[in-house]
Amino acid sequence: MDAFYASVEIRDTPALAGRPVCVGGPSAGRGVISAASYEARKYGVHSAMPTAQAARLCPELVLLPPDFKRYTQASREIMEIFKRYTPLVEPLSLDEAFLDVVGCERLHGDAEVIGREIKAAILKEVGLVASVGIAPSKFLAKLASDLDKPDGFRVIQPEEVRDVLDPLPVSKIFGVGERTAKRLETMGVRTIGELASRDRETVLERFGASGAWIHDLAHGLDARRVNPSREEKSHGMERTFADDLSDPEELRVFLLEFCEEVAFGLREKGLRGKTVTLKARYADFKTVTRSQTLASSTNLGPRIYSVARELMSRVPEGSFRLIGVQVSNLEDVREPVQADLFSGLEESGRGGRDHEAVTEGLDKLRRKYGRGAVTRGSLVGRGRSKGRDGS
Amino acid sequence: MKVLCNREKLREGLAVANGVIPAKSTKPVLENVCLVATDSGLELLGTDLEVSLRYTISDVEVSDPGTAVIPARVALDFIRDLSSETVTLQLGDDENITIQGGDDSCELVTVDPDEYPVISRFDTEGAFSIQGGSLTRLVGQTAFAAAREGGRYAMHGILTEVHGGELRMVATDGRRLALASTPVDVKQDSKEPAIIPTKGTQLFCRVISDPLDQVSLQFGSNQVGMKTPNAEVFARLIDGEYPRYSAVIPEETKNHVEVNAEMFSRKIRLVSNVTGDDARAVRLNIKKGEVEFFGRSAGRGEAHAQMEAAFKGSKTEIAFNPDYVLEGLKNCEADLVTLEFSDRTSPGKFRLGENYIYVVMPITVEA
Repeated sequence: MDAFYASVEIRDTPALAGRPVCVGGPSAGRGVISAASYEARKYGVHSAMPTAQAARLCPELVLLPPDFKRYTQASREIMEIFKRYTPLVEPLSLDEAFLDVVGCERLHGDAEVIGREIKAAILKEVGLVASVGIAPSKFLAKLASDLDKPDGFRVIQPEEVRDVLDPLPVSKIFGVGERTAKRLETMGVRTIGELASRDRETVLERFGASGAWIHDLAHGLDARRVNPSREEKSHGMERTFADDLSDPEELRVFLLEFCEEVAFGLREKGLRGKTVTLKARYADFKTVTRSQTLASSTNLGPRIYSVARELMSRVPEGSFRLIGVQVSNLEDVREPVQADLFSGLEESGRGGRDHEAVTEGLDKLRRKYGRGAVTRGSLVGRGRSKGRDGS
Repeated sequence: MKVLCNREKLREGLAVANGVIPAKSTKPVLENVCLVATDSGLELLGTDLEVSLRYTISDVEVSDPGTAVIPARVALDFIRDLSSETVTLQLGDDENITIQGGDDSCELVTVDPDEYPVISRFDTEGAFSIQGGSLTRLVGQTAFAAAREGGRYAMHGILTEVHGGELRMVATDGRRLALASTPVDVKQDSKEPAIIPTKGTQLFCRVISDPLDQVSLQFGSNQVGMKTPNAEVFARLIDGEYPRYSAVIPEETKNHVEVNAEMFSRKIRLVSNVTGDDARAVRLNIKKGEVEFFGRSAGRGEAHAQMEAAFKGSKTEIAFNPDYVLEGLKNCEADLVTLEFSDRTSPGKFRLGENYIYVVMPITVEA
């Protein structure tokens, strides 16, 4: 999707059409842009840019707070359209997905026909503009969809792979970030064509296993399949604060809120996890992580919080701009569980069966009346904290 | 200080001391062993501030009494690799210690003895004695069930108490619990149970060289002391609330199975070979006259075994982590083991000997 959040906003408020529209956090504090319409991009505004800077670049910028409810709804509708054509849909984010349409030709026509139909259906039914890329592999398809955004439709045929790839900068390769690009440049490699012409051994020596990966991609080789049930490896949440925080008590309250939120997310997905990771970024951007693996997996807020708080105490005190909590090592809640001896008789059943029953009841309320409907006493009166993108 | 000692005895003493002395500590002085030579012999002192040791080396000739604090690890390694029968330790005027064995020697830097922490002396008041082998047995039957990482701090130790003329030890990691006891000649029950760090109890066992030796135990308000003929060990008690363990030991249960201990152990191990790496579970199907064992592993297959059993109850099933069950059975003293439980979600109580109970929580599957 093109400028997804911004496009949804413009669709719902037609008066915004043609104006530079952004969705993001407020410029007071440290808000960042999470989506910018193409009109806004003309001023040099792009996502992840601090809102204050965007406002300077484009004084007439229309800044809107995000409304994920509507974005999620639009996303769901789009994914439904995809599924009319193939069950092999692998969502990458709310507004992006890979589709494998091999074998659907007899039913729906070839990939190009399907692509055109999907693009038209999204415009007609959801009212949004999509860019489509069609190619023999995931890497090339994603590349193709980016090539003539917005409102793009690009097919890369197997025989034109080299012509398309060669002139592109190496940074277009998935996995080549700023640092790798710089290191490649010291080898005299700037374009994908130059990387492809390098000896594989040399690249491998220089970059190890990831060298093999980027060298393959430079040749257009990408054997990854479209995986409709890509397993989630972790579930987490992090926030950059409007103002740096150093008060341990205040940090703990945020931590508790994040843990509750992460736990709710896990329960919604029918998952639980064993490893809790705390991420903390100091005012000077120095970032530390600490993690701990539990004896048994959990999706209960208080359990996650007790670990996160312990991890937080192992991080040197200071002024923090960001903290985050992540739970990984996930498993399905239907996996067998080692029961606990003392869960029944302690601290009003913390982590025990009673607690699970209470949590289940609370979750029902949260689903029905919204996440803020019930909350912990220690979080009452704070409202949900806002992130830099205003969400 | 100048001491002549038997090399093997000194090596053994240093090896025991190195079991307490931390390899790396924020207080570097703790990485040393303190040697105290007096007219009555040579003592080695080691501590990590939680657990402390006084170890007496016999067969020494002290020609010049004195104290030296020397790097523990290096001293042990050097003395171990010497080939002489005896070793001479001599503190020079430059405060370096020379370790000499035959024609070979080394000179090590020492630390000012005043910097070394003070180590208690065994207090005989209120102490009682127990046979070394009985203490070793209690520790062996319980320590494995203590928590190793995570969980409540108190569960990292062994709860020890005197109750009704018995010395009782309890260890749990929250999923299984081991309780063992042995009669002692003490009239008075302990006022408060002591939680001894597992490292301390392991050191108890390490210094008991002959199971027939009588050893003394003394419980203080914040530490427990143990004395053998040639060593004293002190462990700082864990200050924490131990879970109410007696509440989770089932008393009346609906199902009661009695099986041959060795065979039961063998069948569990057999079937456990075909269980997953993460979710290890062996399911027991129990009916009149027999127990059936099932193990399965996603993507690998299934295993089945069975054995005779005396069963009181109605056909039922329960699943356990086989590793937990086997760890307990390893210490089983009896030929027959009984398992009692109420249903598939409640604790299973294994009776592994007259004074030995092992409770294991089952593995359950959400409906």
